[in-house]
Amino acid sequence: MLSAILLQTTNVPKTVGGPITAYWPVMIFFVFAVIFPVLPIVLGRFLRPSIYGKGKMRPYECGIDPVTEAHDRFTVRYYIVAMLFLIFDVETIFLLPWAVIYMGNDFSFTKFALLEMFIFIGILIVGYYYAWRKGALEWA
Amino acid sequence: MNLSLALQIQNVSPDVNLLLILPELIVCTAGVIVMMVDAFARPRQRWMTGGLALVGLVAAMAASFWMWSGWAGPREAFHGMIVLDELRLGFTFIALLVSALTVLVSMVWVEGENLPAGEFHSLLLFATSGMMLMASGGDLVIIFLGLEILSIATYVMAGFRRTDLRSNESSLKYFILGSFSSAFLLYGIALVYGATATRTGLAGTTNIAEIANRLDVSLYPPLLFAGAAMMLVGFGFKIATAPFHVWTPDVYEGAPTPVTAFMAAGPKAAGFASFLRVFVFGFPFVATVASVQGQIHAAWLGALVVLAIITMTIGNVGAIVQNNVKRMLAYSSIAHAGYALVGFVAAGATGDPVFKSEALSSVAFYMLTYAVMNLGAFAVVTLIARSGDRRTDFEDYNGIGFQSPGLAFTLSLFMLSLLGLPLTAGFMGKIMVFRAALNAGYYSLVVIAVLNTAISAYYYLRLIIVMFFRERTTSWSAPRVPASVIVVLIITVLGVFYLGLFPNRVLDAFKTRPPAVMATR
Repeated sequence: MLSAILLQTTNVPKTVGGPITAYWPVMIFFVFAVIFPVLPIVLGRFLRPSIYGKGKMRPYECGIDPVTEAHDRFTVRYYIVAMLFLIFDVETIFLLPWAVIYMGNDFSFTKFALLEMFIFIGILIVGYYYAWRKGALEWA
Repeated sequence: MNLSLALQIQNVSPDVNLLLILPELIVCTAGVIVMMVDAFARPRQRWMTGGLALVGLVAAMAASFWMWSGWAGPREAFHGMIVLDELRLGFTFIALLVSALTVLVSMVWVEGENLPAGEFHSLLLFATSGMMLMASGGDLVIIFLGLEILSIATYVMAGFRRTDLRSNESSLKYFILGSFSSAFLLYGIALVYGATATRTGLAGTTNIAEIANRLDVSLYPPLLFAGAAMMLVGFGFKIATAPFHVWTPDVYEGAPTPVTAFMAAGPKAAGFASFLRVFVFGFPFVATVASVQGQIHAAWLGALVVLAIITMTIGNVGAIVQNNVKRMLAYSSIAHAGYALVGFVAAGATGDPVFKSEALSSVAFYMLTYAVMNLGAFAVVTLIARSGDRRTDFEDYNGIGFQSPGLAFTLSLFMLSLLGLPLTAGFMGKIMVFRAALNAGYYSLVVIAVLNTAISAYYYLRLIIVMFFRERTTSWSAPRVPASVIVVLIITVLGVFYLGLFPNRVLDAFKTRPPAVMATR
């Protein structure tokens, strides 16, 4: 079936693009990306001497002896900040194509686009205020 | 530069028609307003959020009724992304009804459980808007968007009792398996998009009507098969067909009971709406079996027949051995998805517009009857479970028939309706679905479905026997029934009898009028 798909590509105009051939570089890259980390590990397994000591088996922590357990509670505040960041990040992504269309050829789209974008930003601001009111930004 | 050129070409006509998405807009706006009220109102005023949500849902229902009766404008907008037909309106109505009843069930419950009411109701409204988009999308992208809006809101609602481990488990399982199935669906969409590119150099399409036109000129038919199969798996997860049903019992058991009521009725109906639209209209029936379109049609129809049989059987057999009422209802919801699939098969098997519209309306009607009786049953289960969902085992129902006769009798009525006793909605729903399948010639499938109904008698009647014929060993104090739940019970009991006795008006409303929107393009 694969060869059938590959053979088909010869009849296809360039606009559609060959389905598989265009991805050869990606696939080769992928194969190398797999080989690159796996090969040293496998080689090292056979080449290195295996000597285990207490200090060697300890979890690595910047060279300092570990003080506490690794299973510790940590605050999720960064997670909330990251979520808020994401909201505005995505907003920016949407603003870019909007700006391109807005500056487009005949301005026939303008009023609707302007209104729509204000509604969109308004919804985001509502979400932001909601998070604010609910205390997502309280750091104390 | 390329980007800006491409966008400018799209600029030609945006084909905006906000009236066509009026119900969705109303529900979304109501959701945002509920969020704002929740953020700014004083804690004692939070009860308002439920009322506001109800107002929004009723307004959306009015808008959709207006579209049903008096719409003369275009039946497509946003370049076919949104379509208007009876299939959409029927399922929109189901979504709004389910959501409104859930609000009524949960209004008092959410306060009693000390949960944030505003968050709950706004999530419910957003989930509803997702369900409505799934019903109204004429494009795979909109359907996926609706599915994600629905799913993400539902994941949160399933884990709404944050300190309860069962609720957490339910939410996490639903999230992992749900995102997995969404990935299946999305990959299927991508494959179909890639496969529908044409030799003349047109790019692929995600428009369902356009996909149907391009099946026979598709460049890569094998990809079409793979894409359709993956979409089948994705939708199969959402409507809980076996063998993609394994998440259902755990998720339904662990989620707070009003949320379970919503999940069993709403997302399942929405899943059926887009499942029907994608497969019945995107990969439609064709007389020439040898063509690519004919092969795909035969393949998915055959797969659905098998799925329907497995789903009914596993659902019913699984329900027999349950000792928890919520788990039993979860398996019963799997079984009911199987019965509805029988109607789906009938809708897919025919090219005749009259039979097809009859079969489609029978599936929509089935989902409506299921939603009504299921929500009624879960309303009673919510009351009996009390705070924290502590009493959901069969043993907790021992002998309550004489201590709380009202609740026990209503629950028995819903059980009989789920079983499909004549005069009730469940009977009429099954009759319509089976008749459509018989018209399409699926005799053995109907025989299997009827046999399965006989199996289901065991566990539905078992609950009634437990309630009326067992001695109660532990003490029983009748739960206080809030006014809003009384309203729900009245609506659902009347609905069960109305749909069971006079189904014609509803069925006619669900039927596609002659110029079928999706079929001709």
